[in-house]
Amino acid sequence: MPDSGWQVGIDIGGTFTDLVALKPTTGELRSIKVPTQRNDPVASIKAALAAAGLTAVEVGDLVHGTTLVTNAIVEDRVEPVVLIATQGFEDVLDIGRAGRQHLYRLDLPPRRAAQVPPERRIGLAERVDYAGKVMQTADATAIADAVGRAAASGVESVAVSLMHSYANPAHERAIGSALKAAVPFVSLSHEVNPETREFERTATTVLNASVMPIAARYLDRLQREIQGASLHVMHSAGGMASPEAAAHRPLAMALSGPAAGVSAAQHIAASLGLGKVLSFDMGGTTTDVCLVVNGAAEISTDSKLAGRPVRQPMVAIESIGAGGGSLVNLSTGGLSIGPESAGAEPGPAAYGRGGTRPTVTDANAVLGYLDPKRRLGGAIALDVGAAEAALAPLAKRLGVGIVELALGVQRVANATMVRALARVTVERGVDGRQCTLLAFGGAGPMHAAHLAREFGIAEIVVPRFSSAFSALGCIVADMSYTQQQAVRMLSTHWDAARFASLHDGMLGTLMEPLQRHGHGPDDITVERTALVRYVGQSYAVEVPFAAPLDLEVLGRDFRKRHREIYGYATEEHWEMQSLRLRALVARRTKLGPLHASDGEPKPTSVRLCWFEPSAPHQTPRFDRDRLPSGTRIAGPAIVEDAWSTIVVPPGYTLSSDAMGHLWIREGKK
Amino acid sequence: MKNAIDPFTVEVIRHALTAAAEEMSFVVMRSARSPLLREAGDLSSAITDHKGDLIAQGRDIPIHLGVMSFTVKKFLERVPAERLKAGDVWFLNLPEVGGNHLPDVKAIRPIFLEGRLFAFAVSLAHWGDIGGAWAGSYFAAATETWQEGVRIPPLRLCTAEGIDEEKCSFLLANLRGPAEREGDLLAQIAATRAADGRLQRLCEEHGAATIRAALDRLDDLSEAQMREAIAGLPDGTYDGEDFLDDDGPGGKPAAIRVRIEIKGEHASFDFSATDDAVAGPLNTTPFVAMAAVYYAIKAVAGPEIQPNGGCYRALDVRTRPGSILDPGIDKPVVGGNHETSQRAVDAIMKAFAQAVPERLTAGGSTTAGLLIFGGTRRDGATGTFYETHGGGEGARADRDGTPVVRVHLTNTMNTPAEIVEAEYRIHVEEQRLRRGSGGAGKHRGGEGMIRTYTVLGEGLTLTTMFERRVVPPYGLQGGKSGAPFRVTLHRNGESRELLGKENLALVVGDRVVMETSGGGGYGEA
Repeated sequence: MPDSGWQVGIDIGGTFTDLVALKPTTGELRSIKVPTQRNDPVASIKAALAAAGLTAVEVGDLVHGTTLVTNAIVEDRVEPVVLIATQGFEDVLDIGRAGRQHLYRLDLPPRRAAQVPPERRIGLAERVDYAGKVMQTADATAIADAVGRAAASGVESVAVSLMHSYANPAHERAIGSALKAAVPFVSLSHEVNPETREFERTATTVLNASVMPIAARYLDRLQREIQGASLHVMHSAGGMASPEAAAHRPLAMALSGPAAGVSAAQHIAASLGLGKVLSFDMGGTTTDVCLVVNGAAEISTDSKLAGRPVRQPMVAIESIGAGGGSLVNLSTGGLSIGPESAGAEPGPAAYGRGGTRPTVTDANAVLGYLDPKRRLGGAIALDVGAAEAALAPLAKRLGVGIVELALGVQRVANATMVRALARVTVERGVDGRQCTLLAFGGAGPMHAAHLAREFGIAEIVVPRFSSAFSALGCIVADMSYTQQQAVRMLSTHWDAARFASLHDGMLGTLMEPLQRHGHGPDDITVERTALVRYVGQSYAVEVPFAAPLDLEVLGRDFRKRHREIYGYATEEHWEMQSLRLRALVARRTKLGPLHASDGEPKPTSVRLCWFEPSAPHQTPRFDRDRLPSGTRIAGPAIVEDAWSTIVVPPGYTLSSDAMGHLWIREGKK
Repeated sequence: MKNAIDPFTVEVIRHALTAAAEEMSFVVMRSARSPLLREAGDLSSAITDHKGDLIAQGRDIPIHLGVMSFTVKKFLERVPAERLKAGDVWFLNLPEVGGNHLPDVKAIRPIFLEGRLFAFAVSLAHWGDIGGAWAGSYFAAATETWQEGVRIPPLRLCTAEGIDEEKCSFLLANLRGPAEREGDLLAQIAATRAADGRLQRLCEEHGAATIRAALDRLDDLSEAQMREAIAGLPDGTYDGEDFLDDDGPGGKPAAIRVRIEIKGEHASFDFSATDDAVAGPLNTTPFVAMAAVYYAIKAVAGPEIQPNGGCYRALDVRTRPGSILDPGIDKPVVGGNHETSQRAVDAIMKAFAQAVPERLTAGGSTTAGLLIFGGTRRDGATGTFYETHGGGEGARADRDGTPVVRVHLTNTMNTPAEIVEAEYRIHVEEQRLRRGSGGAGKHRGGEGMIRTYTVLGEGLTLTTMFERRVVPPYGLQGGKSGAPFRVTLHRNGESRELLGKENLALVVGDRVVMETSGGGGYGEA
């Protein structure tokens, strides 16, 4: 990374575009929020730069988190694709895994239709077996014929996914090089996802192909319009990638925005020396939680997006459909929160833009947590009366007071989030009660203390830049590339030579873009993870290991992890299913201390807030920007910035540190 | 409100209990060894109260739902509560003890809160082999339960002191692939232990009395939901019947008949007119018939109803002793679990077609479509390859049926061809849509599929267990039937269509072509 110029992080969200910029030479920091310009991310970036008073020539690195790929997939605005598959397996996308989503809903289609229609499927006579041995050679005529048909289709992007290509990619390579002369975009399954299970690999490769033209056009335009700056994009595994790498594998950007938030969480966790952190990002319609252990987020390689498999390394975010704008429902079956949301328009009733159905935010307004005199982001005025009116019918039906209902809504909303926290910790063998909760996003800091109490967490951090956290994540992210590949080797039949060649081949591929960027081997750190299971199991346990691989140590570590996660382990022999490597160049961004004022914190006002149904508390409110560092405030208290509200309930104490992070702990510490 | 508990605490407790059941499923699904568990998810986890009424379920496999509502109740008839101790895990698989078939083994752990028996954690898992006459424990020629495998009455395999090694090794000695089975067993014990831990924490927070009050309230809410759903169906008496292809060893089709009576908020399902028990392994238990009813009423009237004990208070299910659905303890039942149960659902759906056809799908591929390849795996270990095959979904009033999907009571997934080839001595030649197999109609039934297996290794055996070979998936409202199931064995240039229930030895070079049924069409074309 060049040291001159501003390090700029930009996160383009659905409603707002956030920017955080750091000048490394002086430590100066800027942060800005501008409205997102719909369907024009380049314009949003330029607007954010302008609002921050930065011109392209002043920018050193520009790293950005984008929802371009995510939105294209979720909104089904992807490009058409031709699929070339092994003859006899052209219908792999129709067949899938044959399961269905909704067990009892006969009215809904069981699953999404195949992405490639029958007329765009081409079968290639060839076959490689599970060990990579060629059973039927793909001859030149067959390849030429398939390429000719693909080119004649008029479709720009072609996906190739042949049986067992992860074990021997020769046929895919042959057809890939022939295709490159004939069509602009080619996606080969052994490059995109060299792992076993033909449906998931093919679907992932097709999805990648279908967003390639979109990503290429966008990145091309962006580079032209912000000439001078060195551009990078956030990828789903929480690091940044070059535009060339991103254009080649755009599906790696599927979780770009949320991964930027996790990247910031990793940075904060590492800088504060926190061993186990749960990141808690509560927004308007969804809440994302992720486990960060020793400064590294857990990675998942088996996710879905809008019902389609995305087998790419991604930060293991658990996303639930409950946020501040989620509607509160009361049916014969009881009270529930979400997944239906009041959306951005009209939004919660409290926003006074015509919403009449009760939301979680309305409950918070009724409890006094939101200040009716302040304008959210300077724009949205709060209407507590409308919030009360929206909640009143429910209170009447339940026979409870409005405050009791509002407190109840909070508890139920938190209970749904506790389940998400439980999942990300339990499934990784971590006791969630020993984690620190890192709360950010619009509604995260408001719910954090109550949620922590419900889950048994003792310590909460509301980090600096908590309302522009993903943008912060962009300027602290390491440059990294991650790949996972099938290995399938038994501990009893270990082939050290084959393993070494696999390992070294993967490493070469991962190092290449870093070296092209001017980084030597000394700059590059390699992290190795083996995915190990007992013979007969389908799910593997992630076991980090150091080179050179020691089988004894790996086996012992595997059994230890297995016991931590599942509660038992046996002495049976094991199998390495896959190998995951991550090559990274550390960014070493350092945020300086906050230049906070001295003296005692002064409340801006005192208002009544409800924390239990019996009586309200006189609750002082503080301005976060004017909070002296090293200060302590005993709850009840509210701390506000332009974009979010931090609730400190009675019995909790808030303290601020020199870096501008706020700590909330139970008791008087 | 009749319970002295606020509605918010009820929700908080509901979430916590569901999370506990989900955690159980996570442990079994991720760590167990049987192929059906790992690729297909043929397992269920439940928490019941101290009487055995369902409180919460993890992964919701409909076929297990009804069964697990009875497992603990029947278990308690055999093992009085006084004999239960904290740390116990009891195993059982008897069909007559709230069960379905021998391969589905249940692990039951009593959970004590504040020193008193409060709940049970139940982990049900389909073991890849439970012994008996044939690898994989689906013996087509079985005429009595003892030929189908090891019968496990309630057996305390684990206490607070640990696993009882003697009992455990006695059990494992009777099964094929004992190492894999031990893995399954340990996974189930660990799953129930996890649920115990969750409940202890919940109790520290809320106290047993509050949790009990929440459970009562949740039962009432589900009952109210179910009654509301039934009231939305037109009153009347509706008859439906569907047919098994045969009685097992290739005899005549056998009828499953139901008479449904909807009266206000109450529904009764009377299967008395069903044919007498058959000779082969297509009989099933009354608990499986209940599972069919619970699934069907939810699908037709209330998909979002929370499953628990209260859900079923508005339902009345009758089976006739001596019939296919209540055959007596000596009869074989292994196929009845997933085949006859689907016949019962189809009979119910056909009855409901007279009342609410717009809510239904036409007949689909309502069979497991099961092939079991026995023998040794590539790594030399004993291992059965147990594969269910999906077909077309029936069409609806508003859309075509979906191709190649699991319908109604089952939701297992297929095993990818690449996994089959890597682990077993079998080659998958092709896997494609069976075009034209969906029934014609205003909306077409979904297509089935074709998968061709070639045998590469010596000493493999094959078991078939499927339906819809003779009686095809039906059309609705004038739609046409889907194409029937067909499995063909090609050997030495000759071919033979296999029966739906067969055990045979394979030789190298054999090709087994599986063509799954299409869905029925809806409305006249």
